[in-house]
Amino acid sequence: MAITVELTYDMAKALGGVRRFEVADARTVADVVRLTRERFGEQGEAFAKLTRVAAVAVNGVLSNHQRGMSTPLVDGDTVTFLKAAAGG
Amino acid sequence: MIKGYAGRVLDVDLATQTATYQPLDEDTARLYIGGKGYGTRLLYDMTRPGIDPLGPDNPLIFATGPLNGSVAPQSNRFAVVCKSPLTGGIGNAACGGSFAYGLKRAGIDVVIVRNQASAPLRIEIDGADDRVRFLPAGELWGKGTYATQAALDKKKYHAVIGPAGEHQVLYAGIVSNERIAGRTGVGAVMGSKRLKAISVNGPRKLEMDDEDAFKAYTKWVREMFRDHPVLGEKLKRYGTAGIVNTTNARNIIPTHNFKYGHHPEAMQISGEWMEDHELTGVKSSCIHCPVTCGRDVELEGVGRVKGPEYETVALLGTNLEVLDLKRIAEWNYLADDLGMDTISLGAVLSFAMELQERGMLNAGLRFGDVSGVSDMIRDIGHRRALGDHLADGVKRLAERYGGHEFAMHVKGLELSAYDPRGSYAQGVEYATTNRGGCHVQGASMYLESVGPLTINPMNLKLKADIPILQQNLACAINSMVLCIFTTYGMIPKQVHNLDPNSFTYKLVTTLFENSGPLMRTAMQLKGKPMMWFEKWLTYITGTTVSGGHLQEIGGRIFNLERMYNLREGLTAADDTLPPRMLHEPTFKGMTSGHPLPQLLPRYYTLRGWDAQGVPTRRTLERLQVRI
Ligand code: SF4
Repeated sequence: MAITVELTYDMAKALGGVRRFEVADARTVADVVRLTRERFGEQGEAFAKLTRVAAVAVNGVLSNHQRGMSTPLVDGDTVTFLKAAAGG
Repeated sequence: MIKGYAGRVLDVDLATQTATYQPLDEDTARLYIGGKGYGTRLLYDMTRPGIDPLGPDNPLIFATGPLNGSVAPQSNRFAVVCKSPLTGGIGNAACGGSFAYGLKRAGIDVVIVRNQASAPLRIEIDGADDRVRFLPAGELWGKGTYATQAALDKKKYHAVIGPAGEHQVLYAGIVSNERIAGRTGVGAVMGSKRLKAISVNGPRKLEMDDEDAFKAYTKWVREMFRDHPVLGEKLKRYGTAGIVNTTNARNIIPTHNFKYGHHPEAMQISGEWMEDHELTGVKSSCIHCPVTCGRDVELEGVGRVKGPEYETVALLGTNLEVLDLKRIAEWNYLADDLGMDTISLGAVLSFAMELQERGMLNAGLRFGDVSGVSDMIRDIGHRRALGDHLADGVKRLAERYGGHEFAMHVKGLELSAYDPRGSYAQGVEYATTNRGGCHVQGASMYLESVGPLTINPMNLKLKADIPILQQNLACAINSMVLCIFTTYGMIPKQVHNLDPNSFTYKLVTTLFENSGPLMRTAMQLKGKPMMWFEKWLTYITGTTVSGGHLQEIGGRIFNLERMYNLREGLTAADDTLPPRMLHEPTFKGMTSGHPLPQLLPRYYTLRGWDAQGVPTRRTLERLQVRI
């Protein structure tokens, strides 16, 4: 199982410029956050902190329109983290 | 005369080179405010059905509103109204810059330009003595919009066209400073009249009903804007390109001629990227606007130029699979200087690329390949070689070369940069908006995709209601004539700080999604002015205007536009989306495209239209739409 994780600008900055990576074995959005934190050490911690108020889209649909951090994931899904403040 | 209006319409005849001042019609001003509302009423009354948009019978109407000429933030825009050469229906576009301010200073609310000149000319209006001069413009003809403005009187404010307008590119616009009235081909109509520029200024001051209240309140609004997460921070810092990351994450950024809604490298054309890599640090704005959503970038060989906005970076960026901001800025500069709409341009280029990919056209244009694009833009602006065909827009290009299923337009107007398959209300709005596939005649996507508090963009709840609410509000705002971004401020600061996955956020959005009957009732409430634009209108004109009033006025304007389109032969069959949007899924989990057929009947009913999409007599009477 492979989930593609995409980060928008500020979130990518927190991870030292990493924009896209894959995680295996993430069954939910919360799993993605946990696995990312584990993988990227200190930067992962900073990233996880940001995700507390971040919007998360799974295949383009916001997680809050699904099941929040418990939104289930299947092989091939794309999870995107972006800063909550939108508009423009 | 009601306060806030200069009380005069300047009626110009280019064939006889005469100009007369007429009184503004107060009743029309009360019913339609000004801007595109007043302009549409004039167009409807002045013209017979079936006129040639590029012939002498199509009047070009420049209209301001009662807030123009004041120092209220986002208030100095003008509307241009005419029959659109691109759609054959109602044509209108709004523009910032400074021209509206100049008109009001000269004591003019509306300028009607009739007929055609036999040779290029320009008009200079001097508000000090009300003199209107018709001057030869042969030496300016062929010049770009920047050089043209530089050659004109520095003490005046200008509206000009570039070569695209002169050559009647069907999506040519009219430029004031570095802003453009881009959509529906208003610049082509100006070009057909051989009118290169209008310049105006004067000494008059706007008279208000309660100037003290206006001043004190405007001070408060400026502070509120400064503090607002979108108006004071996001737009100020990143410009409109600051939503690239959001639309990309939500799969609604046009990519590969709208085949997809996502590009993995879209970040490289975002406002954030622009700030870190390209921005010169200078930000620009329309006159008196503290939001300063414009930004400048440095272009090799040219110097400091206007940085591209969201629509431009998306349609000339991901849509062409070009992720090079400098290149996009260069094309944006070129298009602005030629005087053409970058939204339509981007859609035309991507359509040509897909035709090429499928072997249906040999234009030498390929997705992801920058070669040939600059030359093609120049060829379009001058209607040279194949550029002559591309200058006619996507709809006509499809009639000539095929590819109707992936021709991205509604009613002939190329879609703006939000994929409706991930934003259902926006899709209904695209399909029903009178000027065609456009987002600033409502901006439903703000409530379901890019705003801070979004309802589910892909369930069917409220998806017929929201476009009506938004379209009516936009009609009123575009008639004041305010910048549509002012409505972004309606969502208070506190909401922006909510965690999107929190219980409160879910509660608020769930309540909103189930508020249909309440929303419809609220839309009719005529109480006290609440929002700044309602208060400004009330302080300036002396007539109380609330949200309910604006919904009614907006609905009146929208229905009049609809009647105009019906008169010109557009029907319910034109209330549709491109086949690609209706039948092709864009992302995982979707089985089909936009569910428009399910939503349209409900929209018609809520509008008070019959099953054929014709406003009923009762609806027209209720809204006092005289036809
Ligand atoms: S927000 Fe931007 S477009 Fe709107 S008036 Fe201000 S500077 Fe002009």
